Amino acid sequence: MTSIVRTATPEKPRAKRSGLSLPQTFTIAWRAILANPMRSVLTALGVIIGVGAVVALTSLGGGATGSITSSLSDLGTNLLTVSSGGGRNAGPPGLVRTGVKQTITMGDVEAIAAIAGIEGIAPTMQKSLQSKFASENSGVTVVGTTPEYETVRNSPVETGAWFTESDMLGRKRVAIIGYQVGQDLFGNASPLEQKIKLGNQNFTIIGVMPDKGASGFSSPNSQVFIPLSTYQQRITSELSATGEQTVNSVSVQGSSKEGLTEVQTKITELLAQRHKIEDANEYDFSVQNQADLLKSLNQITAILQVFLGGVAGISLLVGGIGIMNIMLVSVTERTKEIGIRKALGAKPKDILTQFLVEAIVLSVGGGFLGILSGLSLAYGVGSLLNITPIVTASSIVLAFSFSAVVGVFFGYYPASRAAKLDPVDSLRYE
Amino acid sequence: MTILRLSDISKTYKMGDLDFQALKGVNLEIDAGEMVALMGPSGSGKTTLMQIIGLLDRASSGSYWLRGRDITTLSENERSEARNSEIGFVFQAFHLLSRQSILENVEVPLMYAGFTAKERRERAFAMLEKVGLADKWRNLPTQISGGQKQRVAVARALTMTPAILLADEPTGNLDSRTSIEIMALFQELNDEGTTVIIVTHEPDIGDHCKRVVRLRDGLNESDRLNPNQHRAIAVGMNAPNASAALRGAAL
Repeated sequence: MTSIVRTATPEKPRAKRSGLSLPQTFTIAWRAILANPMRSVLTALGVIIGVGAVVALTSLGGGATGSITSSLSDLGTNLLTVSSGGGRNAGPPGLVRTGVKQTITMGDVEAIAAIAGIEGIAPTMQKSLQSKFASENSGVTVVGTTPEYETVRNSPVETGAWFTESDMLGRKRVAIIGYQVGQDLFGNASPLEQKIKLGNQNFTIIGVMPDKGASGFSSPNSQVFIPLSTYQQRITSELSATGEQTVNSVSVQGSSKEGLTEVQTKITELLAQRHKIEDANEYDFSVQNQADLLKSLNQITAILQVFLGGVAGISLLVGGIGIMNIMLVSVTERTKEIGIRKALGAKPKDILTQFLVEAIVLSVGGGFLGILSGLSLAYGVGSLLNITPIVTASSIVLAFSFSAVVGVFFGYYPASRAAKLDPVDSLRYE
Repeated sequence: MTILRLSDISKTYKMGDLDFQALKGVNLEIDAGEMVALMGPSGSGKTTLMQIIGLLDRASSGSYWLRGRDITTLSENERSEARNSEIGFVFQAFHLLSRQSILENVEVPLMYAGFTAKERRERAFAMLEKVGLADKWRNLPTQISGGQKQRVAVARALTMTPAILLADEPTGNLDSRTSIEIMALFQELNDEGTTVIIVTHEPDIGDHCKRVVRLRDGLNESDRLNPNQHRAIAVGMNAPNASAALRGAAL
C-alpha cells in the first residue's frame, strides 16, 4: 500500500466457477426471512396449519381405526353375531339395541347350536347396573352368558376361573369382573372370593379379566360376567310372544373362516323358518359377520381419507396463496435491493432463484413446523381420547413434499416478476 | 490504449405517444488510466449516458466498445456478467444492502462471480483495507457515516477490478469536507491506474478530473483536458494510503 504502482493495471481476480452457488442463495433467502421473523411465521402459518391438520388427523384417524379393528378381532375369530331386530345394518356386536323387541329365544339358541360347522355358541343378555363393594361404587355392564363365552369371544380370565356348567345349572351367584371394575372397587387388593352387589343382589367374584384397553365406543373393562341362568332369574328376563325366555344376542363361532358364510346362511334360514317369516325384509333378527363389519368400517375410513385429502388440499392452497401474496409484497418492497444486485452483476436467473428459494424455505419451513405441531396435537388429543396415534412415514413425506411443491408453485410468479425488473427503474425506486 | 469507445449513441424514450430523445448521437473515447468528468445541466443526457456506459440500459442506436469488445450485441446474461466484471458502480445514494455487514456488501460482486467464501472474504477485506475501513468490517451500513458508506461503495466497485469505475454524483449526498476526501480517494485510485468516470453537475468536482466532457441537449458540447487538475487535499483524513497519495502528488 505504501508504494503506489502508477502504470501497471491491477491484476483481475478470476473465479473458478461462474455464478451464484446454491448454498449462497439459501443464505441470502434465510437472512431475508430472519429479517422479518414475525411476518415470515405469519406467512407460513397457512402451510403450518394445513400440514399440521393433515398430520394430526391422519395419525389420529389411523390410531382410531387401528384400535377399532383390533377390538373387533379381540371379539373372537370366525365370529357371527345373531341379534334381535331386522335389517342388514344392525349395530356392532356387544351393543344392546334398545327399543327392539327381543325375538331370539332359548329354543332358537339350541337350534342354532345343532347346525353343522359351529365350534361354539354363547347367548348373552346385558344390562347397565351399579356395582358396590363396601363404600365403593362402579357403573358396570352386567353380561349374562354361558361358559362357552370364554372361547367363543376369546375372553380368558387373568386370575381365578370362568364359571362352569354346574354354576349355570345351579344358578350360582358368581361373577367375573372386568379390569376397571376391580380397580374401582378393590384398588390393588385381590377381588377374588369377595362379595359385591350388582343392583341389589350379592355375587361372589371368581375371576378377573385382563386389561383390554379402552376401545372406541364400548369399554370391555367395565363388564361383569355372570351365568345366563342366574341373570334370567335374578337380574331381568324377557319372554317372547310364545312365552319363551329370550336373549339379546348370540355369539356364534364357526369352525373355519371359509365355512362362515355358509353357517351365516344356515342360521338365517333356520331362524326364518322358526320365526315363520318368508320375506327377507321382514326378518325380526339379523345375522352379522365380523368381515361385514370390517368392510363397512374400511368404507368409512376410505371416505374419511378422501375428506381429509380435500381439507389438506384446500388449506395448502390457501397457505400457498398467502405465501404468494407476501412474496409479491416483498418483491415490491425490495425493488431497490434487486436493482442494486443487478447493477453488481446479478443475472435474472440469480434473482429468480433467490426469491424462489425464499418462498420454498418459507413453505418447507412451514411444513416442518406443521409436522411438529401436528404430531404434538395428535399425541395430546390421542392421550385425552385414549387413542394411540399411528404416524406413518408416508403421511410425513407427503405433507413435506406437498409443502415444497406449494412453495415452488406459488413462489415462481413473484420470483419471475423480481427477475424481470428493469435495473434502471428499480435503482430509482423509493 | 482505448478502454471505452462510444460512437453515435442515441437513446429514445417512449413516453406514452411521445418520443423523447435523450441522446442524439454522442461520441466518446476514453483511454485506460483517464479520469473523466461527465458534465452537463439537467436534461443534457448525462445520466442516460451513464446508464448506457454502465450497461444498465441499452442504446437505441450506435455502438459501444468496452475493452475492445462490442457490447451492443450482448445477451441479457452476458450484460450481467460484463456489469459484474467490467463496471464498478458508485452511486449518489451509496446503495449499500442495509441488512448486510460492510464486508458482506463488498463481497456481493464476488459472490455473483462465483468466488468461494474464503476467496471472497480475503479479497473484500483487502478492499476495505484499501479504503481505510478494515476495522469496521462487521458494522452495518446504518452504523457508519455517509463518507464511510461511500468508501464502502468504492471498495465494492473495485473488488472485481473493473475496466472503469463509474461514479454517479458520488459526492451529491456528502458535505464538502467529506466530498474532498472521496475525490482524494478517486484521484489516488486513478494514480494507481484505475480508469474513473464521474458524472456530476458540480464544476468543483469537474476541476478535480484530468478531462471534462460536457453534454448539452443530448449532444457533445465540449471535451477538454484540465491542465490545472486540482489535487484534493483531505483535511484530517485517516486513511493511510490516501495520505500516501497526497505525498505522492506533492513530490
